[in-house]
Amino acid sequence: MNDLQPRDAAFDLDACAAEPIHIPGAIQPHGALLVVDPASLVRLNASVNLADFTGLDLPLAASLADAPGASQLATELRRWIDAEESSFLALIPVGSRMLQVLGRLEPQGLFLEFEAPPRSDAESLAGLYPRLGGFLSAIGGAADVAAIAQAAAQEVRALTGFNRILLYQFDEAGVGVVIGEDGDGVLPSYLGHRFPASDVPAQARELYRLNRIRLIVSSDYAPCPIEPAASPVDGQPLDLSHAALRSVSPVHLEYMRNMGTGSSMSVSILVEGRLWGLISGHSREPRHVNAQVRTACEMLGQVVSLQIEAREQADRTAERLALKKIETDLLARLVGAPDLQRGLIDNGGPWMALAHATGAAAHTAEGVLTVGRTPPDEVIAELVERLQVEDVVAIESLAEIWPEATEFADTASGVLAISVSQLHPDCLIWFRPEVVRTIDWAGPPDKAVARGDGRLHPRNSFDTWKEQVRLRSLPWLPVEIEAVRDFRSAIQDIVLRRAEERAQLTHRLEATNRELESFSYSISHDLRAPFRHIVGFAELLTERERNFDDTSRHYLQSITDAALSAGHLVDDLLNFSQLGRTGLNMGRIDLAKLVAEVRRSFEPELAGRAVEWRIEHLPEAWGDAAMLRQVFQNLIGNAVKYTGPRENAWISICGEEFGDKVRCTIADNGVGFDMAYVGKLFGVFQRLHRAEEFEGTGIGLALVKRIVDRHGGTIEATGAVGQGASFTFTLPKRSASESGRVRKGDLRG
Amino acid sequence: MADLRPILLVEDNPRDLELTLAALAKCQLANDIVVARDGAEALDFLYARGEFVDRTPGDPAVVLLDLKLPKIDGLEVLEKVKNDPRQRQIPVVMLTSSREERDLVRSYELGVNAFVVKPVDFNAFFEAIQDLGMFWAILNEPPPRGIEHA
Repeated sequence: MNDLQPRDAAFDLDACAAEPIHIPGAIQPHGALLVVDPASLVRLNASVNLADFTGLDLPLAASLADAPGASQLATELRRWIDAEESSFLALIPVGSRMLQVLGRLEPQGLFLEFEAPPRSDAESLAGLYPRLGGFLSAIGGAADVAAIAQAAAQEVRALTGFNRILLYQFDEAGVGVVIGEDGDGVLPSYLGHRFPASDVPAQARELYRLNRIRLIVSSDYAPCPIEPAASPVDGQPLDLSHAALRSVSPVHLEYMRNMGTGSSMSVSILVEGRLWGLISGHSREPRHVNAQVRTACEMLGQVVSLQIEAREQADRTAERLALKKIETDLLARLVGAPDLQRGLIDNGGPWMALAHATGAAAHTAEGVLTVGRTPPDEVIAELVERLQVEDVVAIESLAEIWPEATEFADTASGVLAISVSQLHPDCLIWFRPEVVRTIDWAGPPDKAVARGDGRLHPRNSFDTWKEQVRLRSLPWLPVEIEAVRDFRSAIQDIVLRRAEERAQLTHRLEATNRELESFSYSISHDLRAPFRHIVGFAELLTERERNFDDTSRHYLQSITDAALSAGHLVDDLLNFSQLGRTGLNMGRIDLAKLVAEVRRSFEPELAGRAVEWRIEHLPEAWGDAAMLRQVFQNLIGNAVKYTGPRENAWISICGEEFGDKVRCTIADNGVGFDMAYVGKLFGVFQRLHRAEEFEGTGIGLALVKRIVDRHGGTIEATGAVGQGASFTFTLPKRSASESGRVRKGDLRG
Repeated sequence: MADLRPILLVEDNPRDLELTLAALAKCQLANDIVVARDGAEALDFLYARGEFVDRTPGDPAVVLLDLKLPKIDGLEVLEKVKNDPRQRQIPVVMLTSSREERDLVRSYELGVNAFVVKPVDFNAFFEAIQDLGMFWAILNEPPPRGIEHA
């Protein structure tokens, strides 16, 4: 695309996105962190509250194995390391108290996180399993994604006791829409509201992908530093990406406080490896959710992810199938159409339905063809010029990238264009109208950046903020874009197959033509000779034998005549067949001169007959001189022949120009013909008179018609028995190229 | 001045041969008429070889050459004659049944001196032969030997 690049989403440039939130150098103080060497269990790093929180006094370089009160932990850790399981989660007496211990092997060592134990058995995994089982069967029967979202929100709230659970779905631009919510009324409802993409910066999204659950127990906590801050293993800051206790950005804490929340938890919903959405819990007051409940929530998040993935795939498949059916029907009709463009125009309904569009256009070298509601042709042509479509372009707001298009918002806010040819700027375009929508944002979506103190602050208003979205169509779904891609390759196949069929047909015709040529070649040599011989020997005999009586001479003459006429027939036939094969030698022709010459050639035949010639204006024409001479020779010859019995015979020849054509009429007052047989007049071997009345091979008019046809003209005859006949034919006045009517690429499609 | 060199008639069809000979006889030419029945024989005569090895030296006044011939066809004979600097001044007239344009075009490309489509009408045929005989055998002065056409 040239100058029509859509605006980039701005959030990547946010200062917030630059903050290295995975290495905060501190944890939240509701637990303690210890990093040890996995082999020796020697302390590497620890949060400064380790001794206070756990009662475990572990100096630098001391091993957990030797620490008082940690023997059970050390034993279980060794067993876990030997078993090579992914994560460690256990309730173990450490120092003076029973603690929930989370363990995870990282490149920077064995990370151990200590938290308070569950408050009751119901919060233990054993107590949570039945709940999860119930939830699983419940969402199996959910009608749609929204129902799953609603059920998940209710379940997570029941598990965690937060005041409110929101389930967000992120759109392509990263805007989060709340599609499921459950709450006790303490916090405001945001169901249906949107949260701008900048609320969740890019690096936070990445952390949500890596670590599916995150808890902030209190938005007022004081971060507890880690000592040393760098890892002795690699000298780098300690990477807390996977740590449950990871301290979060102060900006986020401020955001929470602005939102009126004292604690929060997020569970990621990953669909096909992408952060599809979040289950997000909030309470007004600080709230701890113990590790076993969090594990249950994480599992629930995975179940929801899988369910959504399955639903979305099923929906896509169903939609794809529906579009495929439309495509198949449309293709079947296109294959039967004389050409692609015609086929599309005649099947505008399915053509538009293929992309759920309200208008469609085909842009080719021959011009623009449209169905449904589209902008004017010249706007479409300019659009194609601007888009420079190389593959597929899907635009939801044409006005955004081409302000002049605002005028056509009601027909073409959405544009889906696909190129069909690599050689030509041909493309197919689908259009959608503007759909004006009102969107509820959770506060104005522009994130406040710096206030007077020069620090970064998040926005502080989450009151419903209504935005009217204009000049946008409904979005083009991936399934629709996929459908037009499929359609493109299918029609390319059709075009290719047509070209192939044409090549085959041409090949066959060439072969047939060659056969015909060799056939007529043989005829011209071998069939003519015997007639020539008959005539020759009959003549020789006549000259030699002086004593024949009249009857014998009559017989001999009949033999000569018969062979002569058969010979002429062969000549005429050959002439006729050659006409189809030889090239036209086109040039400017003075019809008046041509007619005068042809007329002169009949003078010997007309000796002793009085024929009145009525020759009027004859213009110039464009054609093959030899062939047009044949036309006049045959038509005037017919007129001379069929006026034979008339006493006051006349033959009229006149011409006129009309438009880019010349029209000639040759009429006579001869014996005429019955209009009932006019259809047979121009057929090969068609004769309307008995042989003894008029001579002829029955090919003359067929030849005339063939010549006129090859010149791109038409011929008609009128007549009545005993009253004469009239033949009118048209010829081009100028060459096709002179009059600029040559159409290139007529065969395309 | 009458040129009394022979006329070479190359014709395989016995009836055409007879009719052509009859037509030539009517012209009352003094020239001998040598008949070759195929292309090979025609070349043998022209190059004085084979059965013509002992013939009187000299080129024919004209070659009347049928297009369709056994063994070596008329166009091939024509090509040989017109591509041979020693032969190419010999007038060659194509006598043929063919009305095919490609034969005509090919003949002229090869340098034929005249091309006659044998008419079905015997009188027309007779006139054509007579004209040819008169023109090439009687009126047409051969170039002096040794001077070649450009």
